[in-house]
Amino acid sequence: MARKSYQEKLTELRGDVLYMSEVVMERLRMGLSALEQKDTELATQVMEGDSEVNELYLDLEQECIELLALQQPVASDLRFIASTFKIITDLERIGDLAVNLGEYTHEAKHDRFPDVDVQAMGELTLEMIEDAMLAYDEEDTDACRELAERDDNVDQFAERASGVVVRDLIERELDSPDEVEQILQDVSRLLLTIRDLERVGDHAVNIAARTLYMVENDDELIY
Amino acid sequence: MSDETTGRLGGLKRTVATIAPGESRFETSNTRDANVETTDMTAEAGQSDVATTERNETESSSSGGVEMPTSDRPLGTPRVDDAVIEARDLDVFYGDTQALNEINMDIPEQGVTALIGPSGCGKSTFLRSINRMNDLIDVARVEGELYFHGKNIYDDDVDPVALRRKIGMVFQKPNPFPKSIFDNVAYGLRVQGKDDDVEEKVHTALERAALIDEVEDQLDESGLDLSGGQQQRLCIARAIATDPEVILMDEPASALDPVATSKIEDLVEELAQEYTVVIVTHNMQQAARISDKTAVFLTGGHLVEFDDTNKIFENPESDRVEDYITGKFG
Repeated sequence: MARKSYQEKLTELRGDVLYMSEVVMERLRMGLSALEQKDTELATQVMEGDSEVNELYLDLEQECIELLALQQPVASDLRFIASTFKIITDLERIGDLAVNLGEYTHEAKHDRFPDVDVQAMGELTLEMIEDAMLAYDEEDTDACRELAERDDNVDQFAERASGVVVRDLIERELDSPDEVEQILQDVSRLLLTIRDLERVGDHAVNIAARTLYMVENDDELIY
Repeated sequence: MSDETTGRLGGLKRTVATIAPGESRFETSNTRDANVETTDMTAEAGQSDVATTERNETESSSSGGVEMPTSDRPLGTPRVDDAVIEARDLDVFYGDTQALNEINMDIPEQGVTALIGPSGCGKSTFLRSINRMNDLIDVARVEGELYFHGKNIYDDDVDPVALRRKIGMVFQKPNPFPKSIFDNVAYGLRVQGKDDDVEEKVHTALERAALIDEVEDQLDESGLDLSGGQQQRLCIARAIATDPEVILMDEPASALDPVATSKIEDLVEELAQEYTVVIVTHNMQQAARISDKTAVFLTGGHLVEFDDTNKIFENPESDRVEDYITGKFG
């Protein structure tokens, strides 16, 4: 007789992971929005909301541990739980990066580099997370491979943006020590924002890599 | 500012606060028998016919028959370099019922090969085919070949008793003889006329069976006074005392508690350094823990998949095997 309750728990775990991903994506959206609108209230909401993401992570980690301990899964079930264990860590980290955006919002008073489209980069990474989670849900390995290639766009975006900022820094003529201090803070914050969004893309690729392993036992994207 | 979640995943739109766990926008897509030691004789209740037959075979075996090959003196050339046992298109019938269906399998020398599958799938039949235990069942008929070191054990010139000296067997229920611990282990040696250094050989067998420390001061006491786990290790000591090459185990830990099971599993791994162990188990986690190779038999006496154990339990080729080991059927 099939282990019905066990299969139901696996289905439930999958649903809970998808729910966590939605919460995390929403936090990221809010972080980007806060940054764009200089909305410190929204930024605070993102920062305070991190505890919810952490609790979700701990709950899902416990679900995985219990399934491993009590059901002793094998084959595709084992790969599903092992992959899920890793994926929730990526999601939790994305939540942390969204919190960073909230913190940057509190520090940023104005956009010193309007040519660097952080929002567009954020949208790219959000789409990547959404597609990675869709691939996880639908076990779509083509989408996993495509996603890994798409990460190059985010990397190139980050590289170009960093180049713009650094070039501007070199070429800019600074008059006072206060101005130097202010621009260093702004540059540093912008570079951190770019790095964080680039890392969001990396986490999305990690999710795709674990999904590919989960479905096909193929570790080609895991590095 | 917006606190609504939007996206392509489910096309829904709602506030984060309203999404409760389990209510994701994502629509989840997943939603036995005779007791014959290497030297025969053991009988369990209800299996006396087999034991009697085996005793008779023992008696008649002294008249001769082809000596079974060993790894040092092969009578034939193994078809696979490291295979000690090779089944080729092996069929076994019990009357009109086919219990094994064209089994082809190469069991490598040393290491542990686990046979798993649902009840009635033929795994025990296959195990018993390896030392011709099925000969003891009147209605059993074997077709195809089963090679041991390149010699077909079903050839007319093969003496099954001599074969069983090379291919020993341990059963589900511990079945020590109603004799002293020492005599249990020494029995096979004496039957085979290996009377020299019996004391040393018994000691070595008990040591290899990880039992010596527990019984060293009570060798004259009855084997039946030992615990279940100790009795099973005594039976293993008895099986290895005569120095077989292959040890067949039919659910050797299924009647034991977790601690005794753990000792047997450790022992199996230890024995596999020196012997070829083939084990039937219903406990898939046990197969995963202790075996190097796993063979999955499914309904109809078919060997569906045979591969390295980690491959079977991580990523089996067959969907039917996947369904069986994950508990989706069986």
